[in-house]
Amino acid sequence: MVSMEAKMTEVPELDGAETEGNVGKSLAWIAVAGLATVFTAGAIVGVIAAATESGGSLSGIDIAIVAGMVAIIGALIYTQWNLARRIRIGGGPLTIRERLNRNIMVGCGLLGAVIGATLVATDGAMPSDPQTIFSDSPLPLALAVLLAVFWGVIMPVIAWFWHTRAIDEQEANAYRDGGYYAAYAYLMGAPTWWFLWRGGLASEPNGTLIFCLFAIIWTAVWYWKKYR
Amino acid sequence: MKNRLRVLRAERQWSQAELGERLDVSRQAVNAIETGKYDPSLPLAFKIARLFDMRIEEIFNDGFDGGKND
Repeated sequence: MVSMEAKMTEVPELDGAETEGNVGKSLAWIAVAGLATVFTAGAIVGVIAAATESGGSLSGIDIAIVAGMVAIIGALIYTQWNLARRIRIGGGPLTIRERLNRNIMVGCGLLGAVIGATLVATDGAMPSDPQTIFSDSPLPLALAVLLAVFWGVIMPVIAWFWHTRAIDEQEANAYRDGGYYAAYAYLMGAPTWWFLWRGGLASEPNGTLIFCLFAIIWTAVWYWKKYR
Repeated sequence: MKNRLRVLRAERQWSQAELGERLDVSRQAVNAIETGKYDPSLPLAFKIARLFDMRIEEIFNDGFDGGKND
């Protein structure tokens, strides 16, 4: 039986595309595993909150469920780490530009996690519906100002730095194409929804959902153009 | 557009990362150019040509035969 230590240090076997330097598949799986990690963490919070809601404590079954989910998170984090190794190995070591690119991505991911955790932690601070990242319920003033400054002031600086220093022309091209597809989807999709709503055929257009679809289309096309 | 980038890189025994470092692009960009999925900009094409001390048309081939088949 191969020991865990040996497994951790042995070089992963790369497939054809990875050997040629195409790391898109590994990156996609890291994103999927990352999302699964976030959702599993959210489920743990949910189980604990439900059990302790009325001043009670965790039952044996609750503890078993939480332990199982912690194990799942551990497996997901190990998977992400292993996939990151494949990315590092495929096509040789990261270039300086790629390292900067990765560091900014990781930094933004951590900032996003902090924002998400803050929103969850302040849940119930205001007398309203339960808050979620995309809910319209009121936020404490200080948090609202902090998030607005982050999104409206800090993010543009990061984006400027990102586009001028961290990405190369192939990725810039992929971003540009993604922007075209997303812009056309928005220009055609949003009014279509609006007309259908006015005709009584659809629910009222939802700005948050439109924003999310715009971002998803942009990201999907960027990924396709960069890693196809 | 077809190109000889992979062959030229292999002749010099450079990894995609080494070539990417010399061209100031990512490994992914080198891979995309080598596999013909991305055509480099004119400045990058010149940079590649200078790096290998060749003319652009000796590295890249757009399939135009000079109108010989017209």
